[in-house]
Amino acid sequence: MSDITITGLTKRFDDVTAVDDIDLEVKNGEFLVLVGPSGCGKSTTLRMIAGLEDITSGDLHIGDRRVNDLEPKERSIAMVFQNYALYPHMTGAENMKFGMKSVSNYTSAEIDERVREAAEILDIEELLDRRPSELSGGERQRVAIGRALVREPDVFLLDEPLSNLDAKLRVQMRAELLQLHRELDATTLYVTHDQTEAMTLGDRVAVLNDGEIEQVDPPQLLYDYPATRFVAEFIGSPAMNILPVELVSDGSDISVHHEQFELPLPNADSFTAQPKSAFFGIRPEDISLARNVAGDVPTFEAEVTVTEPLGESLLIHCRVGDDEIHVKAAARSSIDPGDRLELGVDEERLHVFDGTGEAIYHSSPRGHASSDAVPTQPEP
Amino acid sequence: MSEFTEPYESKWQAFLLLLPTFIVLIAFLYYPGLETFRLSLSQTILLGSQKVFVGLENYVTLATSSEYHSSFAISVAFAAVVVIGTLAVSLFVSYLLFEVDVGSSTYLIAAIWPYALPTAVAASVLLFLLHPSLGIITYYLEQLTGTSLDWFTNGPQAFAVVAVVAIWKQLGYNIIFMVAALNNIPETLTESAEIDGVGHLKMLYRVYIPLMSPTLVFLVVMDTIYAFFSTFPLVDLMTSGGPSGATNLLIFKLYRDAFEFSSLGLASAESVVLFAIVAILMYVQLRLSESYAHYGG
Repeated sequence: MSDITITGLTKRFDDVTAVDDIDLEVKNGEFLVLVGPSGCGKSTTLRMIAGLEDITSGDLHIGDRRVNDLEPKERSIAMVFQNYALYPHMTGAENMKFGMKSVSNYTSAEIDERVREAAEILDIEELLDRRPSELSGGERQRVAIGRALVREPDVFLLDEPLSNLDAKLRVQMRAELLQLHRELDATTLYVTHDQTEAMTLGDRVAVLNDGEIEQVDPPQLLYDYPATRFVAEFIGSPAMNILPVELVSDGSDISVHHEQFELPLPNADSFTAQPKSAFFGIRPEDISLARNVAGDVPTFEAEVTVTEPLGESLLIHCRVGDDEIHVKAAARSSIDPGDRLELGVDEERLHVFDGTGEAIYHSSPRGHASSDAVPTQPEP
Repeated sequence: MSEFTEPYESKWQAFLLLLPTFIVLIAFLYYPGLETFRLSLSQTILLGSQKVFVGLENYVTLATSSEYHSSFAISVAFAAVVVIGTLAVSLFVSYLLFEVDVGSSTYLIAAIWPYALPTAVAASVLLFLLHPSLGIITYYLEQLTGTSLDWFTNGPQAFAVVAVVAIWKQLGYNIIFMVAALNNIPETLTESAEIDGVGHLKMLYRVYIPLMSPTLVFLVVMDTIYAFFSTFPLVDLMTSGGPSGATNLLIFKLYRDAFEFSSLGLASAESVVLFAIVAILMYVQLRLSESYAHYGG
């Protein structure tokens, strides 16, 4: 096993910069998820690490070796593809052996032994004699993962491996991947566009947008302390509400002024900068009906436009002035479109972003949970 | 499907739409086919203006003619060389085209254009280029190998020259299909192999060829038909079946028997035999390939 160190990695296609000067470290044995919307450069980054894409500039180290100019096969990596990339005319076992035989410094007995072991770990022994066309999507992906396992690489690269599976299978495979990672402790870089996958799988999650890294943090910190407005809106579903507000300072107290409400910000001394206009962020589950809020928290009024029962909760779309916000309320609340609601917020969970999208304030200070707490932020 | 929707209002409408195809098939395929078979049972003079029924006599003549035997053997050998040669060279060129990153469409056009040339034009041009005393290619070949080439009089050389030209002419057709088949193979298979360090040659014969096999079967069939039937202009323009019958392919021989020696009955019998040979070959090829070709799924 090895770590991956990326410094100043850049990829340009003609005049398009797909990956722009990113720094990233995947620690030995870590499961790092690279997440972002389509076209953000996450797959390009992975393909550069695999050696399938040339690196325009920057350094790529796997372990102690600088591998920029090494062929893919010399990098000691294994990759799992979204479409499984199994050879359709070979059985599961043949698929797993094919690459091994090409490397050729293994005896047949060794290869058979490794295939047997990998099959046992993945519980696919009975699939080894079948061709991909005789396997379901999940089984194919298991064989594809098996093919990666038998090579015992230093680094596993997974490119949206669950995206072709149906929702139920995806949840199951997610759990299996986690368990597999726990067993193997392999350095893993996992690319996905699905923030749920990112949150559930990653030891740490790197959020990529427009070829730049917005933030790298463990999932909960990413959720609680988004470094940028992009991360705030991308991570979490339904997304964080973002409202344009004015910041008004009164001595040491600062409050946000929206056309419909005013909220004092607790712990305002943690402010780093104080622009006049800013964006106020709050997650749907951190807003609740005023009657459920304890203490004398300021409340504001909103008009319900749409309600979406999610089963375990009720998602309410409300108008606040000219803006729309989403509120998560208890399931089976009797709330109908057209109702006017009195809402209050959880004061521990307020966020403020400046005009460039950078977080300038979180109401609960980013605590001791992370000692390396300074979030990686892009240059404005 | 639980419901079957009638595509046409009446059976007559469907029949009417099929009629042009039927007419063309009947007028130019089935009727001439039957007529040829009938003719093969007759002896004719003056281009068929007078016919005498002779039963299987024409077939007996063919079966006992040593000239026909040698033409038959030459045709089969020629077809084998052309089919194998075409497939091998096309596969090589297609793989190069598939692997190249820059200017691939230019190379593709360069590889395909001989196919766009009418066979007769190609034969005339190559006759010049390969002419034993005037040809520029022949000249340099002689310089390089230190031998003297004279395929106007040397049988095996004539056979080789016609075969090479026939292969060259058919490359484009094969390359179009092979490049398309190669490009249909998911790129991730190639990338996965690249990460595993699978060599190019191994990738070609263990992955690409099996995955291209349906296309290859199709090309074997088309190339066989080509080698037996469509190489007539090459022989006619370049060697006229000579020297001393070394390139006297069945298709050329039957033409001469019909229109130079006016033995329409005999030529018809040759047509029927040629048709039977190719039909049987096709059947064998398709049956054999069923167990090898990988049709996805």
